[in-house]
Amino acid sequence: MIDVLFTADFGRRALVAATVVGLVAPVVGAFLVQRRLSLVGDGIGHLALAGVAVGVLVGVSGVWGALVVALLGAVLLEALRVRGRLTGDLSLALIFYLGIAAGAVGLSLAGRFDTSVLGVLFGTLFALTWADVGVIALLGAVVLAAVLALYRPLLAVALDEETARAGGLPVDALNLVLVALTALLVVGGMRVVGLLLVAALMVVPVAAGSKVAHSFRATLGWAVGVGAASAWVGLLMAAWHGDLVPGGTIVLTAIAAFVGFAVVGRRTAVGHRPRRTA
Amino acid sequence: MRVTAAIEGRGLRFGYGAVPVLDGLEVSVDRGQLVVLTGPNGSGKSTLIRLVVGLLSPDDGTILVLGRPASDPGVRRSIGYAPQGSPGRMVLPVSVTEVVASGLVTGWRGGRRDGDVGAALDAVGMTELGAECVFELSGGQQQRAVIARALVGDRPVLILDEPTTGIDRAFRPRLVEELRRRADAGAAVVVVSHDPDDFHDVCDRILFMEDGQVRDVGHDEFHTLEQEAGS
Repeated sequence: MIDVLFTADFGRRALVAATVVGLVAPVVGAFLVQRRLSLVGDGIGHLALAGVAVGVLVGVSGVWGALVVALLGAVLLEALRVRGRLTGDLSLALIFYLGIAAGAVGLSLAGRFDTSVLGVLFGTLFALTWADVGVIALLGAVVLAAVLALYRPLLAVALDEETARAGGLPVDALNLVLVALTALLVVGGMRVVGLLLVAALMVVPVAAGSKVAHSFRATLGWAVGVGAASAWVGLLMAAWHGDLVPGGTIVLTAIAAFVGFAVVGRRTAVGHRPRRTA
Repeated sequence: MRVTAAIEGRGLRFGYGAVPVLDGLEVSVDRGQLVVLTGPNGSGKSTLIRLVVGLLSPDDGTILVLGRPASDPGVRRSIGYAPQGSPGRMVLPVSVTEVVASGLVTGWRGGRRDGDVGAALDAVGMTELGAECVFELSGGQQQRAVIARALVGDRPVLILDEPTTGIDRAFRPRLVEELRRRADAGAAVVVVSHDPDDFHDVCDRILFMEDGQVRDVGHDEFHTLEQEAGS
């Protein structure tokens, strides 16, 4: 069954789309994790479900609805964070509930609360068209190009926002760019691993890379490798079995990689201890 | 012809809520000066520093850096700033070189000049540690990385908050010497310190903050004030 990934059109489409998201998701995720914003991707993902419902209700594609609402939601989340309203988990939890509830109600109103919702939540990787793959590749390319162009200022802000602000960096604008890129990535990954799991591909490979790297750049390199490898291995497992949801196998593969890296790694990502003397 | 001061505060007022911290404060620091800013806890040293680097805005008065408002992002790019403590909230591994190089980023693009990073690492005695992960270093070494981030790029204004705190005594003279050298090269160097003795022999001025004001004091007067505060 594995050969369908290379011989059948639907398999090749799945492989290309999963590879793009597996490669690009950790690139944005690394900055989110460093800034302790790991759950922001989840928040935007939940809001995007409401966007899918809006898209269906107004008669456009659910993807475009998700894109608009995810971008607006990203700006809202950033505004809440800047005003200190997003410091605890309660605010983020409320955002999660708002997105899921509004999505469920909106899809019900449109008469579309059926099994297709599962595809939105967990991905429809084997049902992509080449047009879908094109949109995913375009979103991935935009995100990657933006991060490459802004890598140094984004890293400076991620390391120490206050010092970056004191140094004259456009911190607020850079923060907006980061959450907007997260929103694009959420929508890009929606059809691949689903809205409930796309944030995992931003965070888990980064957590794995952090266990063996000594620098941010090396962490990013490892994370991209883990993300892409997880996409391939997860997809191979789903294709081999035939009944498994690829979104689930991809994320489980990434988590297995994290456990493996944690075993061989020498440090924890949080809660480090100095080893040298002054 | 009047020479523009590197840092100039006129009639500065600032308070947290109803509590005034700065009360019509006047201050001026010229290029080429190494100045120690000291005073008791809560006297407003950090507040004044945060006004200079544009992290706070005064309730009243003006604060100019190189003749331009401190709130101007363009002028803030002329300031090397080292806050007290660790180089930020490190969740992921970050190398010392990455921390120091982040000090070169001043805009949307930001440039990295490896030579500058190497010189800054050398200035704080960490040439061999550039590839090390910051959170595997001691607190003192992390503080040195913060200082290197402020020194990189040879900015004309340097602001360092308690740079000697946590740093071993053997290294302090080298740091003091480096800051003196920067001042002699034309930079305005302001060091916030509870212990001006580190800079006793080399600083040009000691500014003492108290009751929302700042004034120049000599070394002897500073020690008298310190003893009075301790008695």
